[in-house]
Amino acid sequence: MLRRLLTLASTLAAAAGVLLPARASFVPSAASPGTLRGRVDVRNAMMAPEPRPGISDLGVDLAYEGMDRRRTVVYFESAPQPAFEEGGEMHATMKQQNETFVPHLLAIRVGTIVDFPNGDPFFHNVFSLSKVKRFDLGRYARGRSKSVRFDEPGIVRVFCDIHAHMNAFILVFSHRFFAVTDDEGRYRIERVPPGSYTVVAWYEGIKQDSRTVTMAGDGRTVEADFTLR
Amino acid sequence: MPPTSRVRSRASCACLLLLLGLPAFAAAQIVPSTPVTTAGGRLTVSGEMSASLSGHDEYYFNYSDYDYSMLRQVRFDGAGAFRVGPRLSLLADVRVEGAVGGGSWRVRPYALFVRLRPWPRREVDVQAGLIPPVFGAFSRRAYATDNPLIGFPLGYQYLTSLRHDALPVSADGLLLMRGRGWRTRYGVGNPAPDHGVPLMDGLDYQTGVEVHAGSEPIEASVALTAGSLSVPSLDTAAGGVQVSGRVAYKPVPGLRLGASASHGPFVARTVVDSLEGSGLATSNGQTAVGADIEYSFGYWVLRSEAIYSRWRIPAIAAPLVSDPLRAFAVYFEGRYRIRPGLYAAARVDRLDFSDITGNAGTMPWDAPVRRVEAGGGYSLSRNVLAKMVYQYNWRRGVIERRAGLASAQLLFWF
Repeated sequence: MLRRLLTLASTLAAAAGVLLPARASFVPSAASPGTLRGRVDVRNAMMAPEPRPGISDLGVDLAYEGMDRRRTVVYFESAPQPAFEEGGEMHATMKQQNETFVPHLLAIRVGTIVDFPNGDPFFHNVFSLSKVKRFDLGRYARGRSKSVRFDEPGIVRVFCDIHAHMNAFILVFSHRFFAVTDDEGRYRIERVPPGSYTVVAWYEGIKQDSRTVTMAGDGRTVEADFTLR
Repeated sequence: MPPTSRVRSRASCACLLLLLGLPAFAAAQIVPSTPVTTAGGRLTVSGEMSASLSGHDEYYFNYSDYDYSMLRQVRFDGAGAFRVGPRLSLLADVRVEGAVGGGSWRVRPYALFVRLRPWPRREVDVQAGLIPPVFGAFSRRAYATDNPLIGFPLGYQYLTSLRHDALPVSADGLLLMRGRGWRTRYGVGNPAPDHGVPLMDGLDYQTGVEVHAGSEPIEASVALTAGSLSVPSLDTAAGGVQVSGRVAYKPVPGLRLGASASHGPFVARTVVDSLEGSGLATSNGQTAVGADIEYSFGYWVLRSEAIYSRWRIPAIAAPLVSDPLRAFAVYFEGRYRIRPGLYAAARVDRLDFSDITGNAGTMPWDAPVRRVEAGGGYSLSRNVLAKMVYQYNWRRGVIERRAGLASAQLLFWF
């Protein structure tokens, strides 16, 4: 139990980091921004939750295939001041397909509008009770889409009211220094100004790792790998 | 208070406190928030815990055949599905439940069956064992989270004055028990006072085999099970098997139309045996038909369901209960999501009975009942739900009984 509580505490700390990102001390100069890249290795990745046993169903449920959940978000806990001032309206999409949110993990900037199109031949009801953004889109059919604008940084958990096993994460950042890993766990964050940063690899709210990375300002690519156990 | 009652009461309180503490545990992620999957994805286990509290239901409007009020109970429910192979699964649901503040606790398998798809390319499924009832729409709502209110519809819960293990000698004997379904007593069969039966037992699964065919937009199921809708029991008349069926049609997303029918033996084997040779035992059975509709859009879910039931029982002495006893239940239910995590819901419900003639005149064989239930639910977290409901009941018997009951339910699931 103590271990769970410690994990929870560190997760909350990470969430606080996303909510209130600190301004990193960096020296504005004519130095070239660099690229941070690496790989996140998730050990004992979570399985996608199965639906609750359909004990009152009269037949076999729709074939449900949970998605592989090895993707993580790598983000800067602190970022250069100008990064908070970069604006512009952005769009992202989280589709409902085969009783799954696609993608399961979405990282966006504050002010992004996320579309939630329904790609299944039945109703879904997307909602969130997260403090960062509470919303309920109601039930709507295939081919229709509803949108939500995310104005606060933080972690938003998204669910479907009809299909309890459907869930997803949306991480909302105040700056642009974040990336979602690809199928092989690789990430890449570009145009990073010189300075020293704390970089966090975050996984499903239950695992994370952080390290300090220094960007020299010579335009080079810096490698930082993570292992989440 | 006798010592045993005190112990039960303390056990109830302990369970209640445990449940009341669950939101904190859930928030701290100490208990799971989603079904637990293990054994390489083959075994999925989920749980549900609920505690319901209300004032004393002095006129027994919400009593179930477990002899306590549905508004005053604590329930722990563990459901599991084990995937033996791509076409075969084992499903089980075990419940521990009891009345708040006393009463007996029981542990029972609610569901225990195999689910088989014999031909991978054909949408035909077979379920065998302690299976979900085919009849009706409310039967599909097995989890308490599927019920926006706390009480059950009258047709699935309200105890009529009819019993399967004891029979009235005459129409007068039946009319004498009008409005006393929680405790009736008759001259033939089991002489002990006991509760009557609902139109459909919404708290028990049925033993037998079911075949399901089709998928959206149209699907159908047929089942052969023991007992009848009112009493899905193995001790109903020997040789009798209940046949029930259901067809559901979804013409457009959000709209579902359903029709159900059932016929099975009703009177207990012991009673039938005691009437053997009199020629009366052949009059025995329950026949029911049902229709249901569900329509959802935006923040609304609207439902309605009607059940018509007819029981044949042996007519023993004059004035005779010669015609089948009929009952009709119908409810309308709506739920509206006001804002994220908050909803309002209401159900209007009625239950009527056919007339029979006794020495005192012609009147319904049981007292008609009306119920209005309204309230709402608030999600403290995604899987912790608090419901507050007010229910008003009328029963038009010899003496009209009215009861307003405020109730609350705390529900946790994973």
